[in-house]
Amino acid sequence: MSAQAQPILEVQNLAKHFGGVHAVDGVSFTVGRGSITGLIGPNGAGKSTALNVIGGYLPPSSGTVRFDGVDVTGKPMHALARAGLVRTFQLARVFGNLTALENLLVAAPRQRGETARGVLGGRAYWGSQEKEFVAEAKQLMKGFGMEGKEDEYGRNLSGGQKRAVETMRALMMKPKLLLLDEPMAGLSPSLSHQLEEMFLKLRDEGLSLLLVEHELDTIERVCSKVVVMAQGKVISEGEMAELRTRKNVQDAYVIG
Amino acid sequence: MSLLIEAIGFGIASGAVIALGAVGFSVQFGMSNILNITYGAFMTLAAYLGLFMIDRNTNPWVALAVTGVVIGLASVVYHRLLLAPLVRRGTRAFSIVIVTVSAGIVLQYVIVAIVGPDTQTYGEQSGNTVHFLGMILTAGQVTIIALAVALMLALHLILTRTTLGKAMRATASNRILAQSCGIDTGRVSDAAWFLSGALCGAAGVALAITTVSFDFTLGAVFLIPMIAAAVFGGIGQPYGAMLGGLAVGVAGEVVAAYSNPEYREVVAFLILIVILLVRPRGLFGAAWAARRLMA
Amino acid sequence: MTTGQEFYLVVLLVYLGTNLLAAWGLNLEFGVAGIANLAYIVTIAAGAYTYAVCTLGPSSNHSGFQQYIGGYTLPFPVAVGAGALGGVVAGVLIGITGLKRLRPDYQAVVMLVISLMAVTVVSADQGLLNGNSGLALIPGPFSDQDPEVFRWAYVGIVALACVAGFFVLRRFTTGPIGRTLRAMRDDEYAAAAVGKDIVLLRLMVQAVGGAFGGLSGALLVAFIGGWNPGAWAYVETLALLTAVIVGGVGNDRGVTVGTFVIATLLLQGLQFLPEITAREGLKQDLGWILLGTLTIAFIWLRPQGIFPERRPKYGGQSP
Repeated sequence: MSAQAQPILEVQNLAKHFGGVHAVDGVSFTVGRGSITGLIGPNGAGKSTALNVIGGYLPPSSGTVRFDGVDVTGKPMHALARAGLVRTFQLARVFGNLTALENLLVAAPRQRGETARGVLGGRAYWGSQEKEFVAEAKQLMKGFGMEGKEDEYGRNLSGGQKRAVETMRALMMKPKLLLLDEPMAGLSPSLSHQLEEMFLKLRDEGLSLLLVEHELDTIERVCSKVVVMAQGKVISEGEMAELRTRKNVQDAYVIG
Repeated sequence: MSLLIEAIGFGIASGAVIALGAVGFSVQFGMSNILNITYGAFMTLAAYLGLFMIDRNTNPWVALAVTGVVIGLASVVYHRLLLAPLVRRGTRAFSIVIVTVSAGIVLQYVIVAIVGPDTQTYGEQSGNTVHFLGMILTAGQVTIIALAVALMLALHLILTRTTLGKAMRATASNRILAQSCGIDTGRVSDAAWFLSGALCGAAGVALAITTVSFDFTLGAVFLIPMIAAAVFGGIGQPYGAMLGGLAVGVAGEVVAAYSNPEYREVVAFLILIVILLVRPRGLFGAAWAARRLMA
Repeated sequence: MTTGQEFYLVVLLVYLGTNLLAAWGLNLEFGVAGIANLAYIVTIAAGAYTYAVCTLGPSSNHSGFQQYIGGYTLPFPVAVGAGALGGVVAGVLIGITGLKRLRPDYQAVVMLVISLMAVTVVSADQGLLNGNSGLALIPGPFSDQDPEVFRWAYVGIVALACVAGFFVLRRFTTGPIGRTLRAMRDDEYAAAAVGKDIVLLRLMVQAVGGAFGGLSGALLVAFIGGWNPGAWAYVETLALLTAVIVGGVGNDRGVTVGTFVIATLLLQGLQFLPEITAREGLKQDLGWILLGTLTIAFIWLRPQGIFPERRPKYGGQSP
């Protein structure tokens, strides 16, 4: 398998138990490079937990996660984020006492101002790079329709704006793989549509996405492959249109 | 060996008082999810109040009862006027702890400003000693142990046999659910703070008697062993606090007997820190209680 | 101005300067990085004791009077540097205990207990740092000079330390690193999700904060010449915390004002009140009562402090 064709993410027999509860019970799937994969299933299927484990928020009970060809099982969130595996949270976690723009700036990768040299050297050392980041962040905010809100405190943003900031922050990190936990929730239909377009564009530029969503139409439009989970296990895999017809998938949603 | 047994004896005596205080502290935390550091200053207040009355020839038992009631009422007022409103406004837990620490400092120094920093004493203890299994205890210590046991038993009965007690347990475990069952959680809270305040008062007087001489730092000094005891058994669990009191008391006395007496306090500090860092839920706390402790 | 008044002014200025350094360090840890280090006073004590054992000379010189570990005779600047380093070590050790993620109010209690434990251990062990009696006769710089020259020269030294300290402080509280620390304060997990190594950051902050504390302690003890456990009870951290809360959490200049108001006007200024009763120490008691009340009042009415944290505005320009 050539390096290009190797999946960006390989999850094998991933499991996560909480005491007696097997939230994730032996899950295996892959996410291809430069593609958008969907992860769907009824409530309680373990999708968010799986995402939390893959994203480094929770350590797995067993199983492996390979990212970009490297075994990253159990690595902490910040290490994964720096390697390019970036996640967003289901409940948007915005830095409340930072402005919206600062929220984005924090996420900029490899900031000179954060190194020892940067702290000692002061603005002379990191000033120009900072200007670039500011321009980039402003551009992003404009693209998400939040121009003018740069100096608004994170805690004063609306729910949808917080979600947008969360997504923009992830994008600032120049990720290779984005783990998105219900990014459309709380967004207006027009903004949702814009976000879909943006995902497709990013995919075309080489970004891979793993998307947990309840809005199955979005999934169908955007994902080339969909993984269905129920009760902690993967029960089916394929294209959305085809999955809709499979009985076991239909049953899972009814039984829940 | 006899040194060990004697130390255990002392440990039981001090452990009983620590347990008493720890139970009250635990009830307050269980009910309101607040680490009330002012508890220590209230104990100091109780010690001085009791002294005030006994110096004027009040019957010690009456003094104890009156002190318990006063501190109980003071605790209810304190919670209602200062702590509950802060919680309602969404003040974060850390700031509330700072408030309780500050209030404790204020109360402590008000006491000093009024009565002065000299050590006080409740007076001579009777010379009678009791010998039991190799342990030597004074009659006073035995009385205190009996008192502590009696009060904790009373609390147990209240919690399990009375409607109020059941309402308290319900509110402590799930306030919203309790409200939807028609329980007046505000009143129940008040009752819990009154009872725990009374225990605090009793503990303060008991402390003053067992330590023979004390000053305005009494409450502050003994608060940490009490918190250690409460956390040892599982914070929010009054029964765990009882066992914890014994553990902290005995451990402290044993260490003090075999090495520097100053290290008695350090034992309590260590127990507290180790438990919180290694097993925050304590010995008997449920995992859900531990989650209350994790960030 | 009489010599007495002049002396008092010098004392006030030295206290102000050393308190500023300490308050800035605490504000960095608590206000900016969100680390509730209620054991901060221990870093100050570490600085003071380190300076002391680096300048007192071998303990045999004071045989019978005081015993302690170490015992060197280093020049003033080196000893002060050692004090700052002592603060760094203390800060990092405290930071390591804080790595276990507990609920913030429990964390606060753990820190208080660490503070108490440190005092108890030092008080109990006579051979370590002379126990409860503490250390005395600690030499300062220019001790062979005319006392008046010494005093004002020392004010100059402290002032210099403050200017340099503030400069260094700003490097950590502003710019990208300051922003990262504030993000960590606001939401640790989200900060980790954007690639921040929280453990490293926390320890770094506690090291820097500890350096400020250690420096503060060293400079103070070199001036007053003595140090004992009574000087670093847990309530001292509360005094600094009040300065931070009143002045402005996360705002360097606000904290400067807060320190001036609390540490100087309040605590030292009370000395100027006429003797109310015959009992000494009453004024100090009043000071603590006032302090505690102020803390509660501010948390109730204005938790962000007089000068809240400033927000960098980008609408149009760079920071």
